[in-house]
Amino acid sequence: MAKLWAIMKREYVERVRTKWFIVVTVFGPVFFGAMIIIPAVMAKRSKSTSEFTNTRILDATTSGAGQRIVDAMSRGQAPGSTLPQVYLVEAAALSQAESTATRQVMAKQLSGYIVVDTRTLGGEEVRYAGRNATSIPDMERLRAAVKEALLAKRLENAGIDSSKVRDLTFIPLRLKTERITDKGRGGSGAVSIIFAGAIAFLLYMSIVIYGQNVLRGVLEEKTTRVAEVVVSSVPSETLLAGKVLGVGAVGLTQQIIWVITTVVMFELREPILAKFGVTTMPFSLPEISLGFGVLLILFFILGFVFYSSLYAAVGASVNTEQEAQQAVQPLLILLVATAVFINPILLNPTSRLASVMSWLPFSSPIIMPLRLSLGSVPWYELLATLVGLLLACFAAVWVAARIYRVGLLMYGKRPTLREMGRWLSYSR
Amino acid sequence: MSDYAIEINNVFKRYAEHVAVKDLTLRVPKGAVYGLLGPNGAGKTTTIRMILNIIAPDEGTISILGRPANDPAITDNIGYLPEERGLYRKMQVRRVLRFLAELKGMKRDVADARITEWLERFDLKTAEKDWGLSKIDELSRGMQQKVQFIGTLVHDPDVVILDEPFSGLDPINAQALKDTIVELKQRGKTIIFSTHLMDNAERLCDSVCIIARGEKVLDGRIGEIKHSHGSRNIALALDGAPSTGLSAVFQDRALVDRVDDHNRYFDIELANGADPQALLQRIVATGASIIRFEIVQPSLHQIFLERVGAQGIEMGMTGHG
Repeated sequence: MAKLWAIMKREYVERVRTKWFIVVTVFGPVFFGAMIIIPAVMAKRSKSTSEFTNTRILDATTSGAGQRIVDAMSRGQAPGSTLPQVYLVEAAALSQAESTATRQVMAKQLSGYIVVDTRTLGGEEVRYAGRNATSIPDMERLRAAVKEALLAKRLENAGIDSSKVRDLTFIPLRLKTERITDKGRGGSGAVSIIFAGAIAFLLYMSIVIYGQNVLRGVLEEKTTRVAEVVVSSVPSETLLAGKVLGVGAVGLTQQIIWVITTVVMFELREPILAKFGVTTMPFSLPEISLGFGVLLILFFILGFVFYSSLYAAVGASVNTEQEAQQAVQPLLILLVATAVFINPILLNPTSRLASVMSWLPFSSPIIMPLRLSLGSVPWYELLATLVGLLLACFAAVWVAARIYRVGLLMYGKRPTLREMGRWLSYSR
Repeated sequence: MSDYAIEINNVFKRYAEHVAVKDLTLRVPKGAVYGLLGPNGAGKTTTIRMILNIIAPDEGTISILGRPANDPAITDNIGYLPEERGLYRKMQVRRVLRFLAELKGMKRDVADARITEWLERFDLKTAEKDWGLSKIDELSRGMQQKVQFIGTLVHDPDVVILDEPFSGLDPINAQALKDTIVELKQRGKTIIFSTHLMDNAERLCDSVCIIARGEKVLDGRIGEIKHSHGSRNIALALDGAPSTGLSAVFQDRALVDRVDDHNRYFDIELANGADPQALLQRIVATGASIIRFEIVQPSLHQIFLERVGAQGIEMGMTGHG
């Protein structure tokens, strides 16, 4: 036991001391922070372009429609913000004015222009040409403003008092979405999809990264022949267990640091965002129950044990990094096949595909937590998945321990699958 | 308690393609320097790995200091230096040594004190520089070899097993290793080492065992082995180039079994029942100018060649070290 501890301690301490670990662990929260701050800042930026500064309205009607559009756009804006300027033009001179404006936009003297003509008054068409024509929020705002102006004009024509019209037509409507699951209403739909995706991705990345880490560690011990010294002091199973547990503990440490810093940053997001001059949007993290947290850790541990013991077996059966890259392909295919389905399952978590992928032992450590965070899973299904995964872990460890024990001391030619099959039957 | 540090009884180890060790029985006396000799592929490393319980024999028993080799407590009392050497490259020297000591069940503070002693003894810790604080890959090859010795001996084991310890050592480290082996013996430790360098073995070992193709060829105390093979070996030295008739004499199987030809010096092994005087007369008759003709005890190298035979020798087998 003391020797297992010594091995785990070495694996853990030597990894946590590396610059790589420190950089990645610090970078993680910075990355998550950026995920919160950058979209907010970007959203604010994109709002400021939507002020239509330096935009011209070419009004070819004589009804004052251009001015009405400016009025509509000015509502909901801070006072003093710049608004489009109205140019009244003769209908005959419109095309002339348009080409002048186009040249000015090309010369960056203008950012865009709006053409208001009789077709606009008829409610058919309003044209916009400008540099921000691809900005969906800008165009949406323009369309709403024109609609509002036209509606106001029609109401006035119908004899409604112009001051009343202003109040009646101003509807700053926002769409707020909420998701309903089997358990009831829970947070915003978009947030929980992002959250579930993040969890699945985090599990996938840590299994790949730390599985590779186990492989490289085993290969290092084999090529430097330290393994021989170690297994003369402890059984190879102890070395394997110490390595998998030690590296797994590094992964868990990193994730716990990430989750804690992310939650803390999330709680502190208001002052942080305020520094960037952004006010927070109403947005809440999905509630993580204690049970879900425990399941998440359990799935990580089992998934990690399953994959990393197989990674260790691969590491012991090869002699060089190049051979390792080839030999690890079957494992990577299993992992990538799982990762490929994360997106479709996110979009449709109740599908057959989602269910099957969440049962299979090679994908369940990633897909089951994803399903759990998107909705409820019947307890018997969860239990059966856990038992299946546990059995798969035992099988993987059994196979890996045997391949590891023999492979660690075999140098030279890379073994064929048949030879490795034979290793399974070696007593010791 | 047994008088033997290691007893191996009728051990077999088979692999799919071949038998690595076949019916091996040997005894290593306590406090002895014991050489395990044999050509490459003879089964030396397999035998050592079975003693260390890294692999288990298919048949037979191995006991160390009177206890079975698979007794976990016994591994703490063995120091092992593998043939191919290496350490965790990115790890600090002291941490590597502390780790190896912990694997042998040492407490950290005891280990630290012992590591300091050894580092000082091998000049890895001097007034100017403490290499113990450097990473392994910052050390020269010679220094890394010293660190590896320390790792083998830091827990002060009673049985020390060295697999080809002299291969790849520079002369200074080879000397340091010899001195260490002698000192360990004086302190009553048992040292087993495998080698194919017969000169080293002859000078260092109390007893040897020669194995080839997985089987024991002979074993015993060096003096007894040489004695039992004595009186049939002749050292011949010539003045000037060998005369032409000489090779015909050497090919006479009634007289000569084997000749190790060094051009002007020959190690000759007489045929069974051949008379040395008859050989001398035949050589004189060829007109060779003899400066030495002496009946000698065979060297371990000669015994090795005689018993293992040229066909037991594979690539890399050089004999003289």
